[in-house]
Amino acid sequence: MHLDSAQEKMLRGELGEAKQFAMEIVSKVGDAVGADELVPIRSAHVLAHYSSLHDAGVEVLERFADSGGRFAVPTSVDPASIDLQNWKSFGVPEDYARQQFRLCDAYAKMGGMRCWTCVQYQVCNFPREGDVVAWAESSAVVFANSVLGSRTNKITAGMDIACAILGLTPRFGMLLDENRRARVAFKLSLKGLTDLDYRSIGFFIGRNAGARVPALVGLPSSVTSDQIKHIGAAAAAAGPVTMIHFPGITPGSKTTAEASDGERNEEIEITRSSLSEIESDLNQFSEFPDLAAFGVPHLSINELGELAKLLEGRKLKKGVEMYLYTSSQAYDMAERTGISATVETTGARISHSTDAEISPLKALGFETVLTNSAKLAEIVSSEGEVKVGYASQKEIIERVTS
Amino acid sequence: MKPPVMKGKGLVKGSANGVALISMKAFTFAHGVEPSTGVVTDVRSDVNGMNLRGRILFYPFGKGSTTASSWFLETVRLGNNPAAIVTEAVDLAAVIGSVMAKIVYGKEIPIVSEVPRAIYARLKSGDRVFLDAMTGVVRAEE
Repeated sequence: MHLDSAQEKMLRGELGEAKQFAMEIVSKVGDAVGADELVPIRSAHVLAHYSSLHDAGVEVLERFADSGGRFAVPTSVDPASIDLQNWKSFGVPEDYARQQFRLCDAYAKMGGMRCWTCVQYQVCNFPREGDVVAWAESSAVVFANSVLGSRTNKITAGMDIACAILGLTPRFGMLLDENRRARVAFKLSLKGLTDLDYRSIGFFIGRNAGARVPALVGLPSSVTSDQIKHIGAAAAAAGPVTMIHFPGITPGSKTTAEASDGERNEEIEITRSSLSEIESDLNQFSEFPDLAAFGVPHLSINELGELAKLLEGRKLKKGVEMYLYTSSQAYDMAERTGISATVETTGARISHSTDAEISPLKALGFETVLTNSAKLAEIVSSEGEVKVGYASQKEIIERVTS
Repeated sequence: MKPPVMKGKGLVKGSANGVALISMKAFTFAHGVEPSTGVVTDVRSDVNGMNLRGRILFYPFGKGSTTASSWFLETVRLGNNPAAIVTEAVDLAAVIGSVMAKIVYGKEIPIVSEVPRAIYARLKSGDRVFLDAMTGVVRAEE
């Protein structure tokens, strides 16, 4: 990969240790994947949860922060492993919280936008069509490429910080037109889709697209950006998906033919039985759960309002907790608009700046979790410590409230 | 049958000699590998329950969380990483994890890509494999 003279200087350490470390990572990754050069980014998004970064990630992050690393572009920060405001009342052990706060301090030092959310595109990070960005968070990567029309590769831990410090990313993969074309088409003719269906559709696509960029046709015109968010999150949890063409929604893809640049692709029909198959794979138990969890990825203020409406007048049964995970910004808005009060009256709680798949569920005393998130179900069952049930929000509310 | 010689594209340089661990399904280190042991915990993986420490790990492509490279790096920090990785499509998380393993911990974990599943399917877990990411050659040893 070609480096210009300013970039060469960074690599030699003439512009400080942090930039050298960042350039070393970015240039070696660029070389490995056959990038031709580094291009400027308009924003970055970086990972911040201790449960997944582990001690190795803390080491890397602190090395950047302590050697003078500062973000060169607007950089939003993913959720933490704990509710940063109310962690004590959620029963988080003190030493666990301390490790998380080390990460938070490092991001404060480097100038991160501490929004603590995985839906930064609904909160504080708004690239426009055509902008090149370097985003971590697999669900947000799909949203950026598929809905915003921005361009990002699926930037993973370590590289995310390096790109944010340099304000640069290697040009390859999803930054190039030829890799963004749809190569398989999923067709949907089912009607009356539930919240669970949207997640299962995404999971089915992720499982069956392989390394091909998929298109999805047949969504109802009433589909919301939140529903699309959940399709993308589930697809990215199940497979290597970084973009889904939604003809009529995805910029540059008015039709299926435009999405594939005229090429005829294999077509895969998504049937009711495809979705039932995903449901029975993700649903490991049907008993009464310890925790009912909504909001992986984070709920928007609209989704919080919708859940509050469904919960109104109900009471949480004994022996179960219900957490609604959201961004700090939507949390504040929910407080001001009475949504929080409605939710709390039922016995449920809104938790912000974290979510269930990155929380130490076992340490918090949960053996079983019931959710409508395919992403959460996939992750929890993979770790194998906690059992997971997968059901629609309506069914969950019926099972755990009265 | 003569052991196959496969030719892919070396992404992260180095060579390795070891025992193969073969997966035909999307793979992730994130939530799917226990860093303190190297055991694959992902219930949807066809190598669930196997240990990848010191193995030459084959899988077609990645999946899931962008934290995968830090899970990978944690296996390196704890000495439980695979010896090398062979994939069909580029798994950026593995590339980033491997690049950082070299920079942060001085460990070489070569990666070869563009080896189709249909080709490496002729190997089985437990076969001895030699890999050279400089030439892209992945060869089963007699």
